[in-house]
Amino acid sequence: MRLLAPVCAFILSTAGSASAHEMTPTYPELRPSYVDGLLVAKLSMFNARDDVDYYEIGVFDENWTKIPFATQARIVKVPYGEHSKFEVYIRDEDKKRATYVCTTSKLRSDKPSYAIVSSKVCSRLDGALP
Amino acid sequence: MMRIITLLTIALALPAVAQETLIEGNIQSKCIIHTDTQGVYGNPTPDKLSTTSTDGGVQPVVRYDVAVADYYIARITTPTSFSTSPTLTDVVNWTGSSSVGEVSDAGMSAYETSKVVYEATTEFDLTIAGSTWFKVSSVAEYGYGKAFPGGTYRAVVQAECIAK
Repeated sequence: MRLLAPVCAFILSTAGSASAHEMTPTYPELRPSYVDGLLVAKLSMFNARDDVDYYEIGVFDENWTKIPFATQARIVKVPYGEHSKFEVYIRDEDKKRATYVCTTSKLRSDKPSYAIVSSKVCSRLDGALP
Repeated sequence: MMRIITLLTIALALPAVAQETLIEGNIQSKCIIHTDTQGVYGNPTPDKLSTTSTDGGVQPVVRYDVAVADYYIARITTPTSFSTSPTLTDVVNWTGSSSVGEVSDAGMSAYETSKVVYEATTEFDLTIAGSTWFKVSSVAEYGYGKAFPGGTYRAVVQAECIAK
């Protein structure tokens, strides 16, 4: 019983209120950027997760292999209840490979108690409508 | 009397002004992941942590909202390790599952029968617009009937929404 007490209940997911993570558009368009040889896609995300302040941006091919890209910051701070617009730059030569652009919630280990549902929303860069 | 007449005169003198106020909006395809319910590990026996209600736990519930049908896949991965725990010297055996809970459209019940499960991941094809609540269960068992050391344990459920 002594052992049971400290491990009785452990919080697996986030704090009480409902919280949400969204990203648009679903099919962003890759357009030529102001830099030769680079294409740019413009996206926006909304953070309604009160337990998350940071999101990581990633670009992947269809097998979920990372593709090099540039953006203002790979880990962006999006305060609770705010929208954030960001741009993703990829090389012309990666255009055919780049399939997904994703934002993933970054969970902080120093926050007490909870963890933790990590959320990840991915849009498609290849314009392949279902 | 004079005051009433004056007010009437003013009211009649005012031209009727009607302006149309336009409200505009558009529905674009998007997916929103909500963390609706906290999950809690119950500790029914010293060697087991479980989110099942019969084990004293609470299942986490994740809600997916999709605005347009058939544009996204929901992918939920149950924990296969602790993100925080005391030092463990033996193996932890993990089991977990994800299932359809509440739905906003009766047709979404079919997600359960057509789900695809591999390793710790379950995929649901979101073919109908609306909200779907997914229940996640997770069980961790330590060694062969060994008691978990006391301390704080945390684990991560990954909820993904992938454009098709």
